[in-house]
Amino acid sequence: MNKELYNYYIIDRKHEELRTGSIGDVAEEYSQKKLSPIERMVDRFEKMCGAEVPHIVPFEKIVMMRTVPKLPDCFTESEWEEIKKEHYIHEIGYVSNLSPNYEKTISVGLLARREEADEYGKRVIDAIIGLTDRYRAEAQKCGRDDVVEVLTQVPRYGARNFREALQFFRILHYALWLEGDYHNTVGRFDVYMYPYFKKDMYAGVYTKESALELIEDFFISFNKDSNLYFGQQQGDNGQSMVLGGIDKDGNDMFSELSELCLLASRNLKVIDPKINLRVSAKTPIETYKLGTELTRAGLGFPQYLNDDIIIKGLERLGYKYEDAVNYAVAACWEPIIPYVGNDVANIGSMNFPAIVDKAVRNNINAESFDIILEAVKSYIYEEMDDIERDINNVWFVPSPMIELLIDEKRYNNFGVHGCGIASAADALASVKKFVFDENKVDRAELIKAMDENYENSPELLHLLRFEAPKMGTDNDDADAMAKFILDTFSASMEGRKNSLGGTWRAGTGTAMFYLWHAGPLGATADGRFSGESFGTNYSPSLFAQITNPMSVVKSFTKPDLYKTVNGGPLTLEFVSSIFNSEENLEKVAALVKYFVDLGGHQLQLNAVNLESMKEAQKDPEKYRQLVVRIWGWSAYFVELDKEFQDHVMSRQEYSV
Amino acid sequence: MKGIIFDIKEFALNDGAGIRTTVFFKGCPLRCIWCHNPEGLSSKRELYVKKKGCLGCKLCNLPCDHEECQGFGRCLHICPKNLVSIAGVEWEAEALATRLLKDEAFFNSCGGGITLSGGEPLLQAEFAYELLSLLEGRVHRCIETSGYADKETFRKVIEKCDFVIMDIKLFDSDEHKKYTGVGNEKILENARFLKGTNKPHMFRVPLIPGITDTDENLRAIAEFVGEDRVELMSYNKLAPAKYESVGRKYTDLIDGEREINANLSLFKNATLRK
Repeated sequence: MNKELYNYYIIDRKHEELRTGSIGDVAEEYSQKKLSPIERMVDRFEKMCGAEVPHIVPFEKIVMMRTVPKLPDCFTESEWEEIKKEHYIHEIGYVSNLSPNYEKTISVGLLARREEADEYGKRVIDAIIGLTDRYRAEAQKCGRDDVVEVLTQVPRYGARNFREALQFFRILHYALWLEGDYHNTVGRFDVYMYPYFKKDMYAGVYTKESALELIEDFFISFNKDSNLYFGQQQGDNGQSMVLGGIDKDGNDMFSELSELCLLASRNLKVIDPKINLRVSAKTPIETYKLGTELTRAGLGFPQYLNDDIIIKGLERLGYKYEDAVNYAVAACWEPIIPYVGNDVANIGSMNFPAIVDKAVRNNINAESFDIILEAVKSYIYEEMDDIERDINNVWFVPSPMIELLIDEKRYNNFGVHGCGIASAADALASVKKFVFDENKVDRAELIKAMDENYENSPELLHLLRFEAPKMGTDNDDADAMAKFILDTFSASMEGRKNSLGGTWRAGTGTAMFYLWHAGPLGATADGRFSGESFGTNYSPSLFAQITNPMSVVKSFTKPDLYKTVNGGPLTLEFVSSIFNSEENLEKVAALVKYFVDLGGHQLQLNAVNLESMKEAQKDPEKYRQLVVRIWGWSAYFVELDKEFQDHVMSRQEYSV
Repeated sequence: MKGIIFDIKEFALNDGAGIRTTVFFKGCPLRCIWCHNPEGLSSKRELYVKKKGCLGCKLCNLPCDHEECQGFGRCLHICPKNLVSIAGVEWEAEALATRLLKDEAFFNSCGGGITLSGGEPLLQAEFAYELLSLLEGRVHRCIETSGYADKETFRKVIEKCDFVIMDIKLFDSDEHKKYTGVGNEKILENARFLKGTNKPHMFRVPLIPGITDTDENLRAIAEFVGEDRVELMSYNKLAPAKYESVGRKYTDLIDGEREINANLSLFKNATLRK
């Protein structure tokens, strides 16, 4: 690893001192001039490129960093209000979460792309070339002939070698952020970069070590400006890289390049790019071992994605096989289709525990438990009606960069998170067992206890919280409830069209809703207190008495997960010390394989050290580099808000 | 028949080859002062109260009418933190075998299996035998034993195992008696027998600072085991953690901070497990 580069950008963050540029506010001016949205986007982009001051660090090979920290909004607040009267605006309104076609532009160059671009595309391309020319001039000034050579070729012309391809990627990715698009994903990096890599390796340009160092240099580039990017918390920036997986002929695409990427992430221990590893029942155990070695580094990478489930699930929703097989991931875990996908993977969310709660309360005196299940079903459908109604006439700020890098908007589906599945399933299983099957809990008493947040019913609380069937313990009764909810959730979307003409995709993720949905919800029949948060994504409830990871794996692979292809990973946390021996590493790898072979969808495996987190809360300065996994991304622990820190600390940890 | 078990642990990483589920037999004839499973010592069901996280609400001290709580002086169904429980569950051998075989296919795919541990499984030899018989032909079976049993019992049970992990803690019988409560004659006799069979096995030596990790003891054990595979086990600093929960007191004869003498060079075929 290039220690100097690492120290400069990661430890000391020296480059942040150079962030002195500004283009001021632009929205007011645009508003007065009545500029169209796309005019604004291009004008702002030109201004941002123009204001950037090239800076090259002596020991870096992949250049470009931001010196203008703030990207002002294109619209005034009152304009946004007007827009929102007519349109549903997703998050901050700019395009996000797509997997751009870097490959095509990297291979032919921007000048060739300019030929076919419209007026706005041409202006954007000119602005990029203008900025990179100034970088080249700066390189000349610094005597960096190597950088001059690279920037003479790219981005004007197609990359001729691996380094030029990486630099070209950096330029395009940088431009996406600079234009105001966000959660700009990396896609199937080891697939589209492989030809450049292979050619250079074959020609002997690099040894394995020097190739690794170049990749590390490139990986560092994702971390230069990441604290300027939009996200819920620091680290939630969508720079997801996908490795491995099959191609349309079923070939395993995991290569030496994939391996070096795993290695680079492991060496650097930085939160970007976020590493995802595509696997399937055919994946050899060796690949899992390489993945587990990265897990050991404690970053929460890689996240595993099961091709068998995802490809089947995407095809079921109408994706063509050759597109489905080429899936990458959005910011967190949602499968998206590179180059031709325009899906909005995280547009809505359903609060399962709230739905179950309503069904239980409204039907507690029902004759049979089936009536409660019927109610859950009808509420899920009603909730979906609401989501469909609310998320209408969706509008995104037009983006010339995206026009340049997305070939076709073939898929326009909307993903909806299914939040709090374990809490919801547990509540149903409790009510079924104790109220209906065993008659052990009085109906009125249960409702009263929930209303009182269990304050006067410690024995009932104990029963529901600790002695009841829980998802994650391989309990068929609880798991059957989860399957019922997820099947219903998925079925509730069938036949619906969204406002972009696509359909809807069900998922098992929570994103930040494990706090947001849980906060306002009162005490529930699973013994959960009022306001108590749900598990992250597709995980057991936080207080389920879970000690056996294999039971967790079994519980969470029982539902037909291809129906909830929008996804959301099961999270397993292992105390970091178990990764100390090679033998244990192999055992963890075998567990991951077990999960995939059983039909698991996505798995998030973390090596955590609770003690370090406690220490970090006390003495943040000493733990600046401590990385933890949050929901679909990793973050520096000390930069998180305390509620996120506490939630991470309260998750299940296996100490085997 | 019925046996008493104090834990079933999936994904046990230190109890034999591959991924294993370990079942912990309750009750042990030894009283090793360094034992880290004090709830495995008594053969009876006993109260297990975790102290960490206790709110001090004393709800568990209130009288209750649950049958299963009588005689323990605590209510098991009320702690808001779930800290009050009973160590020891009675299992029918068949039910236990079914539970353990839940992941049969997985064990067989990754070279793992089931391990009997404790406590001392040989203290419930008939139950262990029945359980092992039920698992026969289905999964790989391993036992972790102190070897403290009559030779007939020992031979009969290990015959039903595919792999034996046996402790040799102290070679001098007086020392052995001093620190474990029993002499080691039976143990060495059984160990000699094991060495003479073709049953795959491994010996384990817990490295207890200043007690078992002396060169003198290790050398004697090394000479005894010869070419056989040995695993030296580092002292478990967390050993005292559970004593308070079962109302016992951990020894003050061990200096846990003292560095252990993991002298592998005395052995022909030993590894250290940290």
